[in-house]
Amino acid sequence: MLELVSQLGGGLVNCLAPLNLLALVLGIVVGLLVGVLPGLTLVMGVILVLPFTYKMDVTASIILLTAMYVSGTYGGAFTSILFRIPGEPIHVPLLWDGYAMARAGKPAKALGWTLVAALVGGVVSWIIMVLLTKPVAGFALRFSTPEYFAIVVFGLASVIALGRGALANAFIALALGLLIASVGTDATYGSYRFTFGLPLLADGIEFLVVMVGAYGVGEVLTRLERGFASKPIQTVADARTELPTLSEIGEVKGMLLRSSLLGNIVGIVPGAGATIASFVSYGVESQFGRRKSAMGSGIAEGIVAPQSAATASVGGALIPLLALGLPGSGATAVILGAFMLHGIQPGPQVLVTSAAMVYTIFASLLLGVLLMCVLGYFAIRPLVRILDFPEAIVSAFVMILCFVGALSIRGNITDLWLMTGFGLLGYLFERFRFPIAPLVLGVILGPIAEESFMNAMISFGNDWTVFFTRPISGTIMAITALTLLLPVIAGVRQRRVADAQRRGHGTGAAKHG
Amino acid sequence: MTTRLQAAVPYLICLAAAAVLWWLTGQITFDARPGQIGPTFWPRVAIGLMAAAAAVEAVRKLAALAPDRETKGIGEALEGGEEDDEADAPRVPALLYAGMALTLAYAVLVTTLGFVLATFLYLAAFMYLGRFRDHAVVWTTAVLGTLLFALVFLKIVYVSLPRGTAPFDAVTEFVLGLFRFI
Repeated sequence: MLELVSQLGGGLVNCLAPLNLLALVLGIVVGLLVGVLPGLTLVMGVILVLPFTYKMDVTASIILLTAMYVSGTYGGAFTSILFRIPGEPIHVPLLWDGYAMARAGKPAKALGWTLVAALVGGVVSWIIMVLLTKPVAGFALRFSTPEYFAIVVFGLASVIALGRGALANAFIALALGLLIASVGTDATYGSYRFTFGLPLLADGIEFLVVMVGAYGVGEVLTRLERGFASKPIQTVADARTELPTLSEIGEVKGMLLRSSLLGNIVGIVPGAGATIASFVSYGVESQFGRRKSAMGSGIAEGIVAPQSAATASVGGALIPLLALGLPGSGATAVILGAFMLHGIQPGPQVLVTSAAMVYTIFASLLLGVLLMCVLGYFAIRPLVRILDFPEAIVSAFVMILCFVGALSIRGNITDLWLMTGFGLLGYLFERFRFPIAPLVLGVILGPIAEESFMNAMISFGNDWTVFFTRPISGTIMAITALTLLLPVIAGVRQRRVADAQRRGHGTGAAKHG
Repeated sequence: MTTRLQAAVPYLICLAAAAVLWWLTGQITFDARPGQIGPTFWPRVAIGLMAAAAAVEAVRKLAALAPDRETKGIGEALEGGEEDDEADAPRVPALLYAGMALTLAYAVLVTTLGFVLATFLYLAAFMYLGRFRDHAVVWTTAVLGTLLFALVFLKIVYVSLPRGTAPFDAVTEFVLGLFRFI
């Protein structure tokens, strides 16, 4: 424990170095702005900042991106509460109680509850992250190739099960991602796959090219097709924050802690990021909360539950990234990309080989949460003014950042072509309601999955039962199967409820008739 | 029937793509060793997954099974019917096609025009395309934005970006000359 505190102290000192501190402040401000702007998603924002980090020190780069990630879960709350515009899908639940409280004449109070929720959620998840990362990494050191394969399969399965839209579409998106990842020189046999004689394709397709295209260009094209028709913004009448009193906080302390823990756990699960955490937490409060019947009418619980869970999910999502090297969400995938661009592979060894860097990142997250709340308290007015920027201008700049992002990955024009192609694919995915997350995570996790599968096959004489008979991999595979069954079970339950309601209406209609 | 077929088209395209990709895996050359599964195994697993999902969905669409019988991800149930605020706005395909054309044009021309000139033209054109009509703001923003991008990426971060071919490279040189004293 003493060692942990001492390393955290060292991390804090490193974090206060001018460049790291600058990265932290910039990350928090840009993350808040990204959260406020409805046209920019959190993942897009993190992607667009990536080219700026190429010449930066790795620690400062990760601090910048993580700070953006955490503050992006908070910025959108302002516009949800004040204007009924969720800057991020994360903040849709805030429309129900946050906006209702604002409409009841207490917007400053609603913003105050959001701040407290983000602060507590962020600090709780930070504590859990600091305490859990090392033990998880230590446990992962016992993993062999079957266990790694099982973990990756679990990650991919949960991305599918927890996503939006038809399950079949998610499977197709995932398969496409795995295929894109298989382009290039095969790591085991050295043969060329789907390269079509192009030298650049022999090196494979960089997942960042796919991410920038599918998330960035695809989203802008989707909004362009609608003529950037965002709702007009009203004048900010009461853009200030009024903190709740200690006794008011005391009344919700149990649910605040519960939502933060829930958000953290959801964040750890691959594929279930801040959005799922926010909705799950709101749903739990609506079903089991002390004031469940008042949810949706503008009560504090309806604000605190989703916001604390959303911010708490960040610390959770960083645990598998740092301890296992597995990104579970779009934002953590970009952070993984930043690590790899600087020649560092996160995973069980990173806590041994780059402990100082990891503890600096830990310390920066805590400082980031605190700074985010301070900025959120004092800078709401200028932050929401960014909504006055016409979307056409913001989108034009986003497109250029996407181009620079693609051009700077390998300094090759072919990547720009590929990125444009993936942008069109991203648009088609949006248009026909195919989820992008399984595609992107398929591209990122595909090579890890294939390599561990192939190595396991070679080591265990092509015995595929090894994934199910070894205790750890077998358990993970069983959890994977259950995860995939979740949407099926949920679907059956929903259909039963709908059928029962229809029968009820039919009987009622017959009686009335 | 036409509506059903239209709904099934994306999945039929996926099925056709899967067939082509499967054929392409047969063209992969490698030194086959007994007892090893080879480099075609993994892509074929992915293609099989894609084909199976596409076939199931294509049949569902063609048979017009009720949409509420479709199994969806948990996220769908959680987020319910919350739609983007732009979802009600009508689609304007011409804007989309023009946006795609502009983006492709940038990709084609950036090596010839250079990053600076291509970016300036793209920024201005995209703002007009996005129905922003304040000419002074468009051109000022395009100039300032281009200078900012050039300063950050060509001077500070130093990313390897195309400088253009003659005579357009003169624009890049001129802009870089402006930053000589920074």
